[in-house]
Amino acid sequence: MTTKLKRSLIYWLILAPLVVVILFPFGVMFTTALRPRDELFVYPATWLFSEIRWSNFSEMWVKTNFGRSLFNSLYVSIAATAIALLFSIPAAYAMSRYRFAAKGAYRNFLLMTQMMSPIVLVLGLFRLMMSLGLVNDLNSLVIIYAAFNIAFTIWMLQSYFNSIPRDLEEAAWMDGASHLTSLVRIFLPLAVPAIVVTAIFTFINSWNEFVLALTMMRSSDDFTLPVQIYSQVAGRYQVEWHHVMAATVLATVPVAIIFSWLQRYLIRGMALGAVK
Amino acid sequence: MSSVTIRGIKKKYGSTTVLHGIDLDIGDHEFVVLVGPSGCGKSTLLRMIAGLENVTSGEIKIGDRVVNDVPAKSRDIAMVFQNYALYPHMSVYDNMSFSLRLRRQAKEVIDKKVRDAADILNLGKFLDRSPRQLSGGQRQRVAMGRALVRDAHVFLFDEPLSNLDAKLRVVMRTEIKALHQRLQTTSIYVTHDQIEAMTMADRIVVMNAGRIEQIGTPLELYDTPANLFVGGFIGSPSMNFLHGSYGTSGDRAFVEVAGGVQMHVPANPNATVGQDVVLGIRPEHFELGTPENGVEGRVKIVEPTGANIQVYGQIGATEICAIFLERHDFRPEQEFWLSYPGDKVHLFDAASGARL
Repeated sequence: MTTKLKRSLIYWLILAPLVVVILFPFGVMFTTALRPRDELFVYPATWLFSEIRWSNFSEMWVKTNFGRSLFNSLYVSIAATAIALLFSIPAAYAMSRYRFAAKGAYRNFLLMTQMMSPIVLVLGLFRLMMSLGLVNDLNSLVIIYAAFNIAFTIWMLQSYFNSIPRDLEEAAWMDGASHLTSLVRIFLPLAVPAIVVTAIFTFINSWNEFVLALTMMRSSDDFTLPVQIYSQVAGRYQVEWHHVMAATVLATVPVAIIFSWLQRYLIRGMALGAVK
Repeated sequence: MSSVTIRGIKKKYGSTTVLHGIDLDIGDHEFVVLVGPSGCGKSTLLRMIAGLENVTSGEIKIGDRVVNDVPAKSRDIAMVFQNYALYPHMSVYDNMSFSLRLRRQAKEVIDKKVRDAADILNLGKFLDRSPRQLSGGQRQRVAMGRALVRDAHVFLFDEPLSNLDAKLRVVMRTEIKALHQRLQTTSIYVTHDQIEAMTMADRIVVMNAGRIEQIGTPLELYDTPANLFVGGFIGSPSMNFLHGSYGTSGDRAFVEVAGGVQMHVPANPNATVGQDVVLGIRPEHFELGTPENGVEGRVKIVEPTGANIQVYGQIGATEICAIFLERHDFRPEQEFWLSYPGDKVHLFDAASGARL
């Protein structure tokens, strides 16, 4: 056996327990989602089942009002991501390029906000949204998610913006471009990888958020996916586990696939070749 | 094309003064090189002319227009950056045409200008490539091309060759000079490399610690450096400095250097007997002499380069370097006699560093 092969084997053995911990819930999720209802509680539990029941998905879709929740989740996540980026790109640009008073304090403030768990703020936020009349309104989640993510997105974008050579913008100015033109035609195209990464992070954070959505949304028509799935389990006389699992599959897998495809674009080092 | 006039330019960052009042006139069509050690303020001065740095006080004029408060984009200046600063997401063609597209020139005009510039710079077959697919020298040429298509009033070069390897640097140096002879655009070129400065410049501005030490043609600087700094900075290997005191005996003048050696110099009316002076002699001005016309030296290290032989040795207690074109056979610790023509010695005041 070559040393290289030996080494990879050892690494995989060390990693194996972790992999199991990560994959086990997914295994349960998939096998439960595709199982006929009467095979859910066989004893002893088994991974195998008699047939693949795709109809679980269509039944679940109708029964759990899945389409509505999916739309809610998409709306909240996309809008929150867009707003967070809209504010954090100029902020990160300013942090990266300009000198202004209390810049260091501002950076620290951003970092501090990340050390607080949203759950400690949930009561205050609820009262804030009450006074704004936004409880039971998806836009309350949009605002909160955007706000919670902005510190992180500014931080992340700023560190990438620092790596984009200032010379490029200066060269554009010398070429006759205004600050805005150089920003739009030179700087932002180079910042795309960073913007995509931060967008993905913000989207996933918003997509998965549970506590705030549970607090702010009262009517089931406004539930986002995590809350909708939770409502299929909590306080029910009978839990349709195969539907719950089908819903979790639909809530996680497409997003995972889309983003694993998107991340290819992150690796392309756009700034390569710009400067030596 | 334009002249550039700089009057009393100062630059401060907080309490640190980087430029202490610079005055400089650059004529139309002239190729001026700003040279000096790193941190001397030459790049700052260039960036102020470009409009990339604010002017603390003083006045910059391009042609007849004061440009202190004119933004970089409206100064009609082209600049080549040290690290090229090519737009990585654009092809070579788009890089070169960017400024013309911003000015909304007609497509045919843009195409003609870009292709003309590409022809001049031998970039014809690279127009569709992206910068990352080019070698350092080619990137450098694209950066030049971006400046060329503009017909700008002034070209600025910020150490454009320092990222290239030694061989390519020499080639590009000649290319830039040839280009300037052809286009005659007023050019200001910043470098820390005195050979680049000597070979390319119509006039050289030697800067040190935020001040101009001397302005002159390359040969003026070489033949009559105004002070110790310029004497030591221009020329490679650099000028030998022998500290000593000025003296006379009869109608002959000499400098007595460390170790008690008396070195004859032409009588200098600006020097007084007993004055502490520094005697400067360039390595290439030493000749092999005789006990009658030379001073005694001792060989330490011999470095033949092929074109010449560089000898590091001592006169009295002072380390010196001498260059000989003839193929003498020197041995370490050998004693030899060095002579030098009287009109090639430079005398500086030791206290102020100024030429006597």
